[in-house]
Amino acid sequence: MLGGVTTTLLISILSFLSGTAVGLPLGFLRVYGGRVAGILVDGFEKIFRGIPELVLMLLFYFGLGFYFPMPFKNAFFTVTFVLGLRSAANQSQIFRGAIRGVGDEQMVAASSLGLSRLRSIGYVMVPQVFTFSTPGLGSEYALLVKDSSYAFVIGVLEIMEITDRIRKATLDTVTPYVIAAFLYIALTFPIATWLDMWGSRRKKRLGL
Amino acid sequence: MTGQVVMESRHLWKIYEKHLIAVKDVSLKISEGEIKLIFGPSGSGKSTFLRCLAMLTIPDKGEVFLRGENLMVQGVDVNKARAKIGFVFQHIWLFRHLTALGNVELALRHVLKMPKEEAREKALEALREVKLEEWAHHYPAQLSGGQQQRVGIARALARNPDIILLDEPTSALDPELIGEVIDTLRDLAKKGTTMLIVSHEMPFAREVASEMIFFDEGRIVETGTPEHFFTEPGSERAQKFMARLIKKTRSE
Repeated sequence: MLGGVTTTLLISILSFLSGTAVGLPLGFLRVYGGRVAGILVDGFEKIFRGIPELVLMLLFYFGLGFYFPMPFKNAFFTVTFVLGLRSAANQSQIFRGAIRGVGDEQMVAASSLGLSRLRSIGYVMVPQVFTFSTPGLGSEYALLVKDSSYAFVIGVLEIMEITDRIRKATLDTVTPYVIAAFLYIALTFPIATWLDMWGSRRKKRLGL
Repeated sequence: MTGQVVMESRHLWKIYEKHLIAVKDVSLKISEGEIKLIFGPSGSGKSTFLRCLAMLTIPDKGEVFLRGENLMVQGVDVNKARAKIGFVFQHIWLFRHLTALGNVELALRHVLKMPKEEAREKALEALREVKLEEWAHHYPAQLSGGQQQRVGIARALARNPDIILLDEPTSALDPELIGEVIDTLRDLAKKGTTMLIVSHEMPFAREVASEMIFFDEGRIVETGTPEHFFTEPGSERAQKFMARLIKKTRSE
């Protein structure tokens, strides 16, 4: 069971981080990148938010995996990859809202000092954008923990798959699921709440 | 008083959409050590003009020179030019996630590429100039409006810019906080800082301005010494505007 918890955590954390790595630039592209970039980012968001992650996982694992066994026949990789893309689409939207919330004035003030656009984004916008995004990022992380349970359909040894195996072995159809339910709550609730509280405190202190 | 020309605009235009002309054919020169003050009704294009000078808004026509270099030519590094122009905003716009020191330090570190120690030293010196050294480690939200604007001034002057442009630096402040900002500006004036100020603080203008510029409907209507405007403004519009301002100042 402990192995399952570790795998669930790994999938969630890795897909969350890759979602941030892709979603943050996309959010800025959407706001400052001009029309064409805006349309492209919008399309990306629509695709990965619109298609159920289960469909994507199966499509990548069986479909792409048939042509490119490396890396898509690795179920752990495919699950993390798909959830990472989905999360990038979600986070891009979260960050876009936060960028608007921080306000263009901060960019103007930064450029007035002679900072380039990229530096203004890096030194002035990004730190504030993260503070603004904490509630959204908290629920996004919780969503990833929950959605990582889909991984069991392609056989990744995470909480759900192990639960299912225990059910098959013991023929107990209640206890394993109740335990799984508690595990998921334990993995989502504290981190999401802590992020939210940290963000609110910081927002209050900075007057954001 | 007639040193080298620091900043100049020649026939500058800014047009928003087709019919909304914010700046009409404005030509202006500011020389080393001069303090010029722009005033005029709200919506007359003063702020837009100031932003055009710093290339924060790109003008549509005309030329902007900083120490003889035309900033409107293609291929000019605008960021490099902005690094030599200090800008103080009406609504201050400090970086909220940085302390007063962090706000002043940012450009020193990442535009002028000073080493950490040197940037800190220089930033503290700028904060000392606006008498806020003890507040260096406070965040903007922990400072009063007047203190925030003084940090804004420190942020603008820390790089030793060629000129400081100030866009109504006191008009968003509560009346009781205006004095401390004016005092700071007076100190800068005494040190011979080259400044172009949009302001309606008439007593201050009378004290420090070498020239006053009356702006209306996007263009310069009249220029002259403060004495000229206080005693015998030529244009009717300037007369009316001055009369209203003086009445308002008296009632305060």
